[in-house]
Amino acid sequence: MSSTKILIVDDELILRESLAGWLLRDGHTVDTASSGEEALEKLKEARFDIMLVDIKMEGISGLDVLQHVKENDPDVAIVMITAYGSIPTAIEAMKNGAYDYMLKPFDPNELGVLIDKIIKHQDQEREMLFLREEHKERTRFESMIGQSKPMQEVFDLICDVAPMESTVLITGETGTGKGLAAKAIHTNSPRCNGPFVMVNCGAIPEHLMESELFGHQKGAFTDAKETKKGRLELAHDGTLFLDEVGEINMRMQIDLLRVLEDRVFYRVGGTQPIEVDFRVIAATNRNLEEAIKDGSFREDLFYRLNVISIKMPPLNKRKEDIPLLAEHFLHRFIQETNKDIDKIDREAMDELMLYDWPGNVRELENAIERAVVVAKERKILPEYLPIFCHEPLHAPRNNSLQEIEKAHIRLILTDNDWNIARCAKILDIDRSTLYSKIKRYNLQKN
Amino acid sequence: MTSQSEHSILISPVGELSSELIEAVAGEIKQVFGYSTETSSILQDLSFALDDNRNQYHSTAILDRLAADIPPHAIRVLAIAQVDLFIPILTHVYGEAQLGGQACIVSTFRLNEGRSGTNVPPKYIERIVKEAIHELGHTFNLRHCPEDACIMHYCRNEEDVDHKSGQLCRYCIIMLEDEIKRLRTS
Repeated sequence: MSSTKILIVDDELILRESLAGWLLRDGHTVDTASSGEEALEKLKEARFDIMLVDIKMEGISGLDVLQHVKENDPDVAIVMITAYGSIPTAIEAMKNGAYDYMLKPFDPNELGVLIDKIIKHQDQEREMLFLREEHKERTRFESMIGQSKPMQEVFDLICDVAPMESTVLITGETGTGKGLAAKAIHTNSPRCNGPFVMVNCGAIPEHLMESELFGHQKGAFTDAKETKKGRLELAHDGTLFLDEVGEINMRMQIDLLRVLEDRVFYRVGGTQPIEVDFRVIAATNRNLEEAIKDGSFREDLFYRLNVISIKMPPLNKRKEDIPLLAEHFLHRFIQETNKDIDKIDREAMDELMLYDWPGNVRELENAIERAVVVAKERKILPEYLPIFCHEPLHAPRNNSLQEIEKAHIRLILTDNDWNIARCAKILDIDRSTLYSKIKRYNLQKN
Repeated sequence: MTSQSEHSILISPVGELSSELIEAVAGEIKQVFGYSTETSSILQDLSFALDDNRNQYHSTAILDRLAADIPPHAIRVLAIAQVDLFIPILTHVYGEAQLGGQACIVSTFRLNEGRSGTNVPPKYIERIVKEAIHELGHTFNLRHCPEDACIMHYCRNEEDVDHKSGQLCRYCIIMLEDEIKRLRTS
């Protein structure tokens, strides 16, 4: 379950500990640093949504920490902690980008209000980004391709489970085609004439999830100007596909479990029970058994979802499918671009076969798309395949670290259809960090 | 109050307290957590936690002492104090708990608006019971709840305490059940 990550930077142990204890009980994830130096070290390894920073510290001061953070990650909200005598410095800090300051000791009322205000502000920022992405989202379904034994086994399993009503959990690495498998099950099921409704649980901000899933009545909350059906209701008589189900927070897991058990729910702010009839297919690239052990996923929900499981093989375990897939994508992109290309050169195909494809089929698809765009001859040559370039980011050697980071993030986002949860996992940063970097670098979907 | 049992929650009054208050706390503990209670004072002198400059008592220090002195048969201890509590970063607290730990404390000082612990009118008993259950909830790993009617909702002032119900919301009930199940199987 995602919670706000807060870093407390204060050289007084007792203040750090008491503040950390209070924030933990308030449901946040908390880390502490005893100096500016330690804070900067922690910032190399993790990103925080909020930092509470003491102004006066030996060595690197609170103001230095503020300056560093504002230069590198301006979306982090920094609250300066100050004693009465340092108020002018705190005001100066606000001019330099601090969100606010608080006098020690804090009034618990003011601290709670301030933290809530910051979280709301940051949620709104993320919501805007999410809505922009959602608007541009293109979903492309096509037939699944593969002659390899692992894929033939997947096809057989899909044929077996499609006519049933059982819930299916599809697991596998990012880009292995979990969404395609879900769609294939729906298409071959008795519900094929009903809707196929996808919920990308990793892309919907936490505070929007309840309304997205359950819908809301007009007036249920400030922005609920009209009654809106949620995705559960829209999936009636069809299939509900919960992609990235491992990203759902604990409270929503409780609600989802109840709906799956009772098939009845209420819109947010609604009093009328709504009965629904849909089949559930869920997908995740997380190890849910591990998530159960660490307490971030409910065991009862797991068993409810994992009635039948399908594991999608990674592309490097079915390399014999690469030529078939590459030709398929080539054909499609030639049609889309109207380019005069006949085939993939043998050497280029060898390279495709040798590569490990950590991004799986999606990475292959993107590699072929890019190759078609840059191709200057009638065949795809190895040099058209960006994955094999020795300058992986096409970055001139005088590029700054930030420029390289921006280019790399853009590449990963493009390769993964802007699936934020998936990209964050590949980049090994959390989602809020990724959102922040997307905003900072002004990255947008094409 | 009740006899010693294998897995009970210990109510530890500090100083003389109204028996109605203790009975109300005990009844609500049984109702919310399902555990029986016993009442025994394991800490009477809080002077070790007094901060002379603030003229308040450091609740974290009291929790450490409570946790060290908890009898083996008790799974949790709830102290009910009558002094003004603080943690160093905050001006005051109504109570404090070890998240997922064994000890918690609540004070009548602000919730009973300065009256003695033997003189607690019914409205104030209700307030103190709510905050006692709230702190005990933390020891069962419950965090602050965004639902303002839930007893685990963080209250910014006494009016907020009066406003919230004496019940856990449906999410917190399930999370509490999970935690109790985990405790019983571990």
